[in-house]
Amino acid sequence: MVRPGDCPRNGQARLPSRRQVLRRGAALALTIPASAAMLEACGNSSSSSGSPTASLAGTAVMTNYPSWMGAHVVQDFQKLHPGSVIKQITNASSSISGTVQQLKTGNFDFGLADASATQQAVDVGLIEPPDWSKVPNIKYVAESFRAGFPHGMPTDYGKIGIGYRPDIVGEKITSWHDVWRLAPKFSGKIVFIDLDRDCMGSALRYLGYSGNSTVPSQLAACKNALIAIKPHLQAFLSVNYGQGLQDGSTVIAMDYDYDVALNQQKQPKIEWVFPTEGMVAYIEGWIALKSSKVLPLVEAFMNFALEPKQYADFVNTTGTAYVEPVATRFIAKSISASPILRPGKAIGNVEFEHFLGSATALWTQVWNEVKAA
Amino acid sequence: MLAPTAPSGLRADSGHAAGLRHLLVVPTAVWTLAFFVLPLGLVTVFSFGTENLITFNVSFGWTASNYAAFGSALYLSTLLRSVALSLGTTAACAFLGFPLAFFISSQRPRVQRLLLAGVIVPFWTSFLVRTYSWVNLLQIDGPADRVAHGLTGHHLQILYSPRSIAVGMVYSYLPLMVLPIYVALERISPDLYAAAADLGARPWRQFRRVVFPLARPGLIAGVIIVGVPAMGEYVIPEILGGGKTLMVGNIIVGQYLDVGDYPFGSALAVSLMVILMIMLFALRRVQPAVEAS
Repeated sequence: MVRPGDCPRNGQARLPSRRQVLRRGAALALTIPASAAMLEACGNSSSSSGSPTASLAGTAVMTNYPSWMGAHVVQDFQKLHPGSVIKQITNASSSISGTVQQLKTGNFDFGLADASATQQAVDVGLIEPPDWSKVPNIKYVAESFRAGFPHGMPTDYGKIGIGYRPDIVGEKITSWHDVWRLAPKFSGKIVFIDLDRDCMGSALRYLGYSGNSTVPSQLAACKNALIAIKPHLQAFLSVNYGQGLQDGSTVIAMDYDYDVALNQQKQPKIEWVFPTEGMVAYIEGWIALKSSKVLPLVEAFMNFALEPKQYADFVNTTGTAYVEPVATRFIAKSISASPILRPGKAIGNVEFEHFLGSATALWTQVWNEVKAA
Repeated sequence: MLAPTAPSGLRADSGHAAGLRHLLVVPTAVWTLAFFVLPLGLVTVFSFGTENLITFNVSFGWTASNYAAFGSALYLSTLLRSVALSLGTTAACAFLGFPLAFFISSQRPRVQRLLLAGVIVPFWTSFLVRTYSWVNLLQIDGPADRVAHGLTGHHLQILYSPRSIAVGMVYSYLPLMVLPIYVALERISPDLYAAAADLGARPWRQFRRVVFPLARPGLIAGVIIVGVPAMGEYVIPEILGGGKTLMVGNIIVGQYLDVGDYPFGSALAVSLMVILMIMLFALRRVQPAVEAS
């Protein structure tokens, strides 16, 4: 079991990457209908004593990624509030549609979702607007992340930037423009992320557009840019994006911050770039659902999880980039000392991904055209 | 008095036994109805619906627009790529699987069991693990590349290309071809070989005129078992194709899991199913003619 402080150091106790976690989630997403039916058969997920004094007694069911919780957070909360149970169903989907469909089942009281899925859940009318007076610890979360995740409690985020090997490239990369320029020279040694939001979002930033653009002409330009670089790509990868940077089989990678930070521990020659054109980032957090009958319990748990020590437990367990600067003192040095993962000034150059609405289909169409080209 | 009653009792017993025998089919029938026929019907119904992609509410206006979209160049070219890869995989599996099955069936029973275990045992491990292991085998400086480089001086640059997808698919589906062919070959009486030899047939002629025709049902079963799932394959192209080769299976998965457009995903799935059924019916029609010839 991974414990706080067991963060990856010098290759020891490598944590599951977020995308590995998501992969598992995606595989599990295929079983959503079955698991929903099973939960249905077990009766209502929520149960509450109904007594105001015992309002925290009951069971709150959460949809979450596997291992995406502080190692001791649930246990400590339940100890503090006898009679309360936080039950995690670790089948959270990595796709927006999968997440929203899951939340629609009515089997959950709260859950983990990214900003896009959250906005769609808001549009569908699934989310209970947060009563922040019940979650005072939200004050610990940096304002930029609260703005990026307004309908719930932000927990983590991931920037999509560039990891590369300066010793092989022979020059300093500072921008997405450099990646496209150097592609012919390092043909077959460049990898991109195999996720439309992250890959197309980065290409849009390269072109000077918003990473959330829904303008057809901009998306067409994005498609052309990706098709132009595709022959030089080794692959669009869904896992282990930057692993090849370790042995030099990959020299440039469009990559997540946490992945570059992990690979850097094994290969110090790897460098992370905050591209000058800016970068896109996912942001995720917990959202409470309207259908829940135990909202006081959910809010109390959210508040508890935001306590700096508890939040640090989550960061130390998952190795993610974090949103609560005051928790830094409790966070393992390997994470808090990393300029890649620490919330810093560069966050101003980050554009959080948000829900695309009906343009989702257009994005998928463009992405398929890139893949088919 | 016993004589007349005994047969009627027997008849009653045998009728009862027949009733019980029919009951045996109930679990399978219920299972098939609930988990095959009903979902298939639902997918077909969904394929004629439209969906609000914001709320995910589906309305059933019985529109064929989802099928019309399938006619675009993107989807047609992807479908053709899937058909080509499926046919190539099936042909390669048949080409490699037939000699292997023939070799296994010609061994002593104990050796046969060992060789069959050799075909089957690797498939006790996870499909994903086996597929990912090909990434290590085919990557630059991997075992396959080192051998190729040692022999030719050139690197084996096939990972993350349609060729590596083909390698992975042939590897994954080969046992599904070997086993039915083996079963067909194993049923051929050795006396037939002797008779053919007595009539002057040399080994190649024996194979062509005796073995191959009798093994053909197994081969056709193998072609169906391999060809059908290969057509909708999406995991192997994703892992070994490096996400650079789009297959129809990937598009269907994307519509279901990423976009959430169930009607369009269903229309794609139904179209693929119809194409496969046409191919299978064509195979069925051709089969007797081939066997007669």
